[in-house]
Amino acid sequence: MRLAPRPKTFASGAALVWRWQRILWWIFIINLALAYWATKGMAERADWALSHSVASGRLVNGFDLFSLAELAGQPDTPIEQPGPAVFHYSFIFAIFMLFATGGILATYVFDAKPTATAFFEACGHHFWRFFRLVIYLMLALIPVAIFTVICRVMRNRIDAVSNSPRSADFFFIGALLIILLLIMVLRLWFDMAQVIAVAEDETRMHRALRHSASLLAHNFGSLFWLYLRISLLAWIVVGLGMYLWMFRLSPLSTTAAFLLTQLMLVFWIAARLWQRASEALWYRQYQAASVTELAYTPTPSPQPAPIPYSTAMN
Amino acid sequence: MRTYLTICTAGALLLFARGTAPPPQLQVVNGQSTPSPSQPNGALSTRVVAYTIDAKLNTTNHSIDATETLVYRNLTGQPQQTFPFHLYLNAFQPQSTLMTEVRLHGARGVGSDSGWDEKHRASITINKLEVEGVDLAGKMQFIQPDDHNTNDHTVFQVTLPQPVAPGASVEFHITFHDELPEVLYRTGYKRDFYMIGQWFPKVGVWWKNAWNCHQFHADSEFFADFGTFDVNLTLPQNEIVGAAGDLISTVNNPDGTKSMKFHSADIHDFSWTASPDFTVVEDSWTGSAGPVKIHVLMSPGHMSSASRYIQAQKGTLAWYDKWIGPYPYPRITIVDPPHGAGNAGGMEYPTLFTASTAWFMPREFLVPEDVVNHEFGHQYWYGMVATNEFEDAWLDEGINSYMEAKSMDALYGPKTSMVNFPFATLGISDLLRLEYISLPDTDPLTRFSWKYISDNAYGGVTYGKTGTVLLTLEKIIGEDTMLAAMHEYFLRYRFKHPTSEDFLKTIEDVSHRDLRWYFDQAVYGTNVLDYDIWDAHSDRLNWWEKEIRGKNPNEELHRTYVTVHRKGDFIFPVDVVVKFEDGSVATEYWDGSDRWIRYIYDRKAKLASAEIDPLNQVRLDRNSFNNSFVVQEDNRAIHKLHNIWIFGSEWVSQLLAWLS
Repeated sequence: MRLAPRPKTFASGAALVWRWQRILWWIFIINLALAYWATKGMAERADWALSHSVASGRLVNGFDLFSLAELAGQPDTPIEQPGPAVFHYSFIFAIFMLFATGGILATYVFDAKPTATAFFEACGHHFWRFFRLVIYLMLALIPVAIFTVICRVMRNRIDAVSNSPRSADFFFIGALLIILLLIMVLRLWFDMAQVIAVAEDETRMHRALRHSASLLAHNFGSLFWLYLRISLLAWIVVGLGMYLWMFRLSPLSTTAAFLLTQLMLVFWIAARLWQRASEALWYRQYQAASVTELAYTPTPSPQPAPIPYSTAMN
Repeated sequence: MRTYLTICTAGALLLFARGTAPPPQLQVVNGQSTPSPSQPNGALSTRVVAYTIDAKLNTTNHSIDATETLVYRNLTGQPQQTFPFHLYLNAFQPQSTLMTEVRLHGARGVGSDSGWDEKHRASITINKLEVEGVDLAGKMQFIQPDDHNTNDHTVFQVTLPQPVAPGASVEFHITFHDELPEVLYRTGYKRDFYMIGQWFPKVGVWWKNAWNCHQFHADSEFFADFGTFDVNLTLPQNEIVGAAGDLISTVNNPDGTKSMKFHSADIHDFSWTASPDFTVVEDSWTGSAGPVKIHVLMSPGHMSSASRYIQAQKGTLAWYDKWIGPYPYPRITIVDPPHGAGNAGGMEYPTLFTASTAWFMPREFLVPEDVVNHEFGHQYWYGMVATNEFEDAWLDEGINSYMEAKSMDALYGPKTSMVNFPFATLGISDLLRLEYISLPDTDPLTRFSWKYISDNAYGGVTYGKTGTVLLTLEKIIGEDTMLAAMHEYFLRYRFKHPTSEDFLKTIEDVSHRDLRWYFDQAVYGTNVLDYDIWDAHSDRLNWWEKEIRGKNPNEELHRTYVTVHRKGDFIFPVDVVVKFEDGSVATEYWDGSDRWIRYIYDRKAKLASAEIDPLNQVRLDRNSFNNSFVVQEDNRAIHKLHNIWIFGSEWVSQLLAWLS
């Protein structure tokens, strides 16, 4: 079935995130705490080298790339490669988010203040279902990865034969945009499957995916535009924040820089929750429309009056 | 112009004379080369070789067919019967020494794990080698003086029927065929672009009383004698050509080709480039030796960098003219390789070099400027002061890197000459130091270029460490004296083949200092320089008495200890500045001969800070962060860094969480 575009979903989704903003702050705090722990050891080692050194001034007054590289290049390096710790803590965060998504979606779908017990029950209830969805998502990403590789090969071929240095790069930028949109569509599809799993207590994820795909196929424009608008807004805000941080903020303003970077992150998380809340809201409206339709379907009237879904929803 | 530039520096350059006549001399007065009466032709160099090459480029199968006449003048002082020649293009074969070394540790952007690709195969074949009417092609013998790799055919020698008497000449008539590679190691083709370097049989150099003719290595460049080049190139009429010589004539042939004649003198190599897609941009600059035509050949999509190339070229010409000496050639050609031909970029040839840029190159990222500056610098350190790049790579790449740091920092700012964004900066001298500190102790500067432990060590030591060694030398003899020494070195050895000792001796001569202690460690040794503040603190002098509450601590005498430690094995004198809370300062000088020294002060004021080398002149110190101790903790730098790391970590988390 097809639902007409509903401009209110966009704003109502934001209102839903605002209403249950406690979710946002918890995610933010956990993300920040894990990132802090991931980098704490490195910071402590660097602190040992920097806090009592005149040379650290080169990092305070502006940002001398050489000083950072010099620090990293020392044999008793104060800065170890942060990769493993950051990856480990990021992995923990990803698992946490997989766990919390059930509770978050239950809150948005049912739009009722959950108790801690109910929230975590929902988290646990849906965890393994969502875990299976992650595996399906990985499989779905394989064709995208193949497409990316093909685009890269084509880029290299264009680069090899074209006299213009721009042709290959422009081609690849265009391809990356398509890949980005494909990934967004995939995420939209799987997000909807998660909403269905929560709203319908669907245990079979392949059925949730089929249902989600059907909804997406019939309402692609409105759903994708909903997602894209929020993504664009998030990218603009983060881009603006980066610009302020790099070009406008005084290099001495460490506190302001911290607040600005965290503000960017809060908005980014909020945007992601906004997408989920909007989708949950959209699905609630869809459910309501389905009920309305069901109420009229069995009417044995020889000429049942069709009810526009938009009217039914208003 | 600095005072020392106005002082007359007389030098003499041996010039070739036919037969047994004594070689004419070139007088050097006020930095200007003036031929002596016995040198009527105004030659700048001892012209040992005279090459006449007639070459035809085949753009269909990327090959060159050519004839070469080489007149070699025997100035070796002894009869010569056996002559070695370079055949550099034979290095582009999988079992060559160059490719074997690439496979071992990579070089020039080619990774050690990269496989062999047939498009990179190249060769140079000699079809005929005739001397005095006798074809000696059958007597050619490939030799491998460096590694005995019999699969390497980059050097051959031929023995003549009769020896060439001292002072006499011999003419070699050679017919050869080049198969060009897709651009690799500076030379080859890419689509319709050609960069043709090291493309003809080139005779070795009689140097240090022996023939010097090394194989082509992954980490080595070239060495050749000065002379004249008369080159006739035949190629399609639509080709736009740049070459290391003056264009004498162009004739369009009936078969759709054209023949272009070039002449050049007092250079030791001849390279050229061709592409129908070049856009020619011309400018000129006038220095103390007269006007210099700047000839820029821009590839498609790169035009926005043309003005940056020219601006950098003019600035560098002016800087060299002021500090080092005049550029004597009437032209300089800058070749901008097209995209995909990056391996041809950033390479120097006499009076012609290749630059490097991209279609998107922010002004704050000074790559085009730096490459022009560096490669033009090689016109002095390689082009004119023609050191042996196989054996003394530090004398061309290293000295040139030092000059690059000096000139780029002067032109674009010491901290902003490489990257100049509001949020991040980087200077060339810092970049050199960064290369050095990554591998400070693997090889001495004087290591033969192909004998470094790795390609990274070759780069880090030859470019980075040499530059840093010379920047640190300024601390000992002063910046002005150092530049004066460079000027003197140029005047003494332009159009010659100086050695490492020639360079070091010149510095000692100009500075009137015995610097062996420094050269032994920094040039010939692998010593590491690292000083640190081992301990710095203040203690109450009457520490055994209890502190009296309410008593002003500044009324008490404190004993301050500052212990300076030499962590590395490099002995270098340093200044130590100790500051106290009342603003008073104590400056110490330590020769660094012992492993540590402790300074003790009895003052009312307590220690504020202790710092080694406060002016940051000892650039060889591999860790500047341990050079100081400030009592008052300052966490701003670590807070700033930690914020960046946290932010980055949060984004990695968000990326992974996207999957959930």
